Amino acid sequence: MRTAKLVVRRAGMENAQCTHTPRTSGRPVRTRGAPVGAVVDTVSAETLLLRSGRGEHDAFTELYGLVSPRVYGICLRVLRDRAQSEEVAQEVLVEIWRTASRYDERLGSATSWVATIAHRRAVDRVRSSQAAGDRERRAAAEATVAPVDPVADAAERRLEHRQVRRCLKTLTDLQHRAVTLAYYGGYTYRQVAALLDTAVPTVKTRIRDGLGKLRDCLEASR
Amino acid sequence: MSDDVHSLIGAWAVDAVDDDERRRVEAHLLECESCAAEAVELREAAGRLSDVLLTDPPPELRDRVLAATSRTGQEAAPAPRRRPARRPGTLRVPRRRLALGAAALALAAAFAGVFATWQVMRSTDAPLAESEMAAVLEAPDADVAVQRAEGGGRVTVVFSAELDQAVVVVSDLAEIGDDRSYQVWLVDEAGQTSAGVMDPGDSSATMLVDGLGDTEIVGLTNEPAGGSDQPTEPMIADLALPA
Repeated sequence: MRTAKLVVRRAGMENAQCTHTPRTSGRPVRTRGAPVGAVVDTVSAETLLLRSGRGEHDAFTELYGLVSPRVYGICLRVLRDRAQSEEVAQEVLVEIWRTASRYDERLGSATSWVATIAHRRAVDRVRSSQAAGDRERRAAAEATVAPVDPVADAAERRLEHRQVRRCLKTLTDLQHRAVTLAYYGGYTYRQVAALLDTAVPTVKTRIRDGLGKLRDCLEASR
Repeated sequence: MSDDVHSLIGAWAVDAVDDDERRRVEAHLLECESCAAEAVELREAAGRLSDVLLTDPPPELRDRVLAATSRTGQEAAPAPRRRPARRPGTLRVPRRRLALGAAALALAAAFAGVFATWQVMRSTDAPLAESEMAAVLEAPDADVAVQRAEGGGRVTVVFSAELDQAVVVVSDLAEIGDDRSYQVWLVDEAGQTSAGVMDPGDSSATMLVDGLGDTEIVGLTNEPAGGSDQPTEPMIADLALPA
C-alpha cells in the first residue's frame, strides 16, 4: 500500500525533476543576486574552497572564518559535548583542507559540501561513542521540545535562519520531529521511530516528504 | 527491494541510515535518475538545517586548525603521477586520471559515495564528451557494481558491455606501505588478467579498463610494489559483473 503511494509521488517528482535538472549546476549563479548574510557567504565560500583546493593556504584561512561556525555548530548540536565537538570540528576542517581539490561546484554548494562532511563525521562519532546510551536518554527526554538551539538566537539577525525556521513550521508535526531528530539529534530513522513510538516505514516516509517540503519552501522564498 | 532503497533517500540525506543502507542508496542513485535529482535537492535542503546552528568555535580551534593544515599535505588535484606498470601480453589497459572525471569520482570516494559519480553522468555542461571515461559513465547500458573492500574502502565498477569498457574507482583502501601495490584483475573462465597496478602505497585510484571481454569478476588484491603476474589470494574485493 505504501509502495503504491510512493510510486505516485515519484511520478510527480520525475516531472518536476526534468524541468529542474539544471538547477543544481546553476545554484551559485542563482544565489549571487540575493542580498544578505549566509547567501553572500555561500558565494565566496565556493571561491575560497576552490582556491584552497589549489593549495592557497591564505584562502583556507579566510574560508575557516566563513565555515567554522557551521562546522562547530553542527558538531555541537549532534555531539552535545564541547570537547568532543572541538575535536571532531578540527578533524572536519583539516579534512576540508586536505580534500578541497576534490570539490567541484557542479556537485553542489560549498555550504552543502562542508555541512555534509561535518554532519557525517559528527554522526559517525556519536554512533561509535560510548556516550551514545547516555545521549539517547537525554535526547529522548528532549524529543518533544522544539528543535531550536539557544545559540541560534545570537545569529538570528540572519535572514536565512529565519527562513529555515519559518520553513520548518510548514512541516506537519510528525515530519518536523522526524526530520529534526534525525538531523539535529543524529539518530537513525529506526531510532527516530522508537523515540516517536511510530512505525519505521512511516518515519522513513516522513523524513523524506518533510525534507521535500522544506526544500520547496526554501526555494519558494528565494 | 528497489522501492525499499528508494524510500530511504530522505533518511540518507540526513545521515539517518546505517553504513550498509548508505551504500545501497548510493548504488541506487546511479541507476535512478529521478532519485538522484531528488537526492541532490534533499541534501541541499538538509544542509540548510545547519543555518540555525552557527556557533563561533573557541579561538584556540582556529590556531590548531591553521597550524595543522599548514603542515598537512593536500590530496593531489587529479593529475597523472606515474605511469602504471604495463604487463606484456595483457589487455590494453590505459589508466587515466582525467581532470573532471577523476575529481568527481574522487569526491565520490571521499564522502558522497557513488552519488557524486552520478553527478558526473548528469553534468551536461561538463567537458567530458571526448573522454572515454565519460562515455562509459554515460553509456545507455552502463551498469554499476559496488563493494566494500576487505580491510576498508570500496571498489566501484561502472561498466558498459556495449563499449567493452569499465571505469574502476578504488577508494580509501587500507593503508599500505610503499613496498606494496593494489592490483586490479579481470577474471573470466580462462583465468585472471591484470587490469592495472596502482602506484605503490596508493589506496585510491580511478582507472579506465579496456577490453572487458567475458569478464565475470573484477577483483582486487594486495601485491608487492609493481604488481604480480598472478593474484595473491584472497582477493580483498571481487565484484561480479552480471552477464
